[in-house]
Amino acid sequence: MTRRTGWQRLGLGLAVTVLLAFAAFPLLWMGLTALKPPSEIFAWPPRLLPEAPTLSNIGRLFAQTHFVTYFKNSLIVSTAAVVLTLLLAVPGAYGLTRYRFWGRETIAATVLFTYMFAPIMIIIPFYIVMRTLGLANTHIALVLAYCAFSLPFALWMLRTFFQSIPIDLEEAAMTDGASRFRAVIHVVIPMALPGIIATGILTFILAWNDYIFARILISSDNLKTLPVGIADLYNASVIDWGMIMASGLLVIIPVVIVFSYVQKFLVAGWGSGGVKG
Amino acid sequence: MQTRGLPGLLLVLPALLLLVTLTLYPVGYGFWLSLHAKHSLFPQQTFVGLDNYLYLVNDPEFWESLRIGLIYSVSTIALQLVLGVAAALLLNESFFGRNIVRGLVLFPYMIPTVVAVILWKWMLNNQFGLINFGLVSLGISNEPINWFGRSYIMISLILVSVWQFFPFVLLAVLARLQSIPTELYDAARVDGAGPVNRFLFVTLPQLASVLFIIILLRSIWMFTKFDTVWLMTQGGGAERYIRTMPVYAYLRTFNYYEAGMGAAVAIVMFLMLVVAATTYFFLFRQEDQL
Repeated sequence: MTRRTGWQRLGLGLAVTVLLAFAAFPLLWMGLTALKPPSEIFAWPPRLLPEAPTLSNIGRLFAQTHFVTYFKNSLIVSTAAVVLTLLLAVPGAYGLTRYRFWGRETIAATVLFTYMFAPIMIIIPFYIVMRTLGLANTHIALVLAYCAFSLPFALWMLRTFFQSIPIDLEEAAMTDGASRFRAVIHVVIPMALPGIIATGILTFILAWNDYIFARILISSDNLKTLPVGIADLYNASVIDWGMIMASGLLVIIPVVIVFSYVQKFLVAGWGSGGVKG
Repeated sequence: MQTRGLPGLLLVLPALLLLVTLTLYPVGYGFWLSLHAKHSLFPQQTFVGLDNYLYLVNDPEFWESLRIGLIYSVSTIALQLVLGVAAALLLNESFFGRNIVRGLVLFPYMIPTVVAVILWKWMLNNQFGLINFGLVSLGISNEPINWFGRSYIMISLILVSVWQFFPFVLLAVLARLQSIPTELYDAARVDGAGPVNRFLFVTLPQLASVLFIIILLRSIWMFTKFDTVWLMTQGGGAERYIRTMPVYAYLRTFNYYEAGMGAAVAIVMFLMLVVAATTYFFLFRQEDQL
């Protein structure tokens, strides 16, 4: 590494500041607005920091809207989607890496091909199918939709992960008398755990963030998930900016928590094709 | 050694079944639906053959949705690529606090679209928005700009979309940059290559394969993007002017209640993607990619 001159350091610092201001400042501004009383929200000229920070916006959100119900619904649906996706994808990806069978490569290629199917293409027939099955306006329909949408990348990511685990380890366990199942449970799964957790987190984020499936499949207010609930709150009448910004702040908190875990894996390079969208 | 055999297929089968019933079947059903006249809420349907498609050929709204959709996707993809690659090169340099910056910059991509939209609707607000405050006090604009009116809505939409999705490009490029052997740069330095030449002749060729995939995926996703476009344009008075193809498919189905026609728009969109992706693939694919 060559040492930088003063001008180069200044230029680098400036560029990083501009990038941060563009990417992160809007989020910070949302958080600050959420903590301001109305008089400061509409102050002109606007001030950066709240003079009298308040939680009243969050209080109104809890008392006057169904935010808590939406939050609970989002949590239920996203967690169920993660569990179902992993239950299907972990054995599936293991099968795709450790066994040789007719059509294996075709299956892997088909999985990639499903990237072409945008939600808007699937949602119209999907909605009609769910209505025929009597599942429209249920959380089950949402969980199935998210699972179907996460499976391709979940299989793809876990496959690369299983491929990186040396098969010798399983074989060693099996020559020591363990069954294949036990070898997988005690040797392979622990080694693949970071990958499994990361896949689960990306599935969670996909389900947590989705708007279109929830918009079309859910009609009852008490079944709505957060993105639809917030969009409706915004469209309702006179916009209560403090409350809307508070809802945005609370929605991204779970994302921030789980994302700080996967970030290092993402930057390290695998599965950058991860989340769809 | 890999075991030959059936157990592998059995392990994949449940996942495969779900994919077939919930993804492939709806796509097939959508195609079948596009051959019918069907109200979105009632079960009756009449077979009309290719009538829906023939109608679209002469439908000015359809061609307008294609035009708007292309303007939107091409401009957002180009800007995402430039910004994403530039940011990746920057964050590949070593400096104090680099890991935190890397984490923060990825956030726009991880948050729900609805949050991205409401926070930008606040930033761009006519009366109280920070952007208009900045523009007016710096004297760039004499009066606050109506960012959601007809003349500026496309610019606002592109801004929000690029903000939301450039971290994807950044992420993929940064990961690839980290795996370029430093010897290549040392060799180029010995040969007297400056920073620009090092980028053009060392970095760029190394990035070719990852850029190939990024452009493919981002094109598919931007061309079919629904939520950002829909949420950004609703309620600003300019909805009519920003109907991309996915929005048009949605409107046909859920506002006009013509499920068959909506499905036809979606199928045309899909076929265009398949043709474009295949052409792209054969034009630009090099050895050992994918």
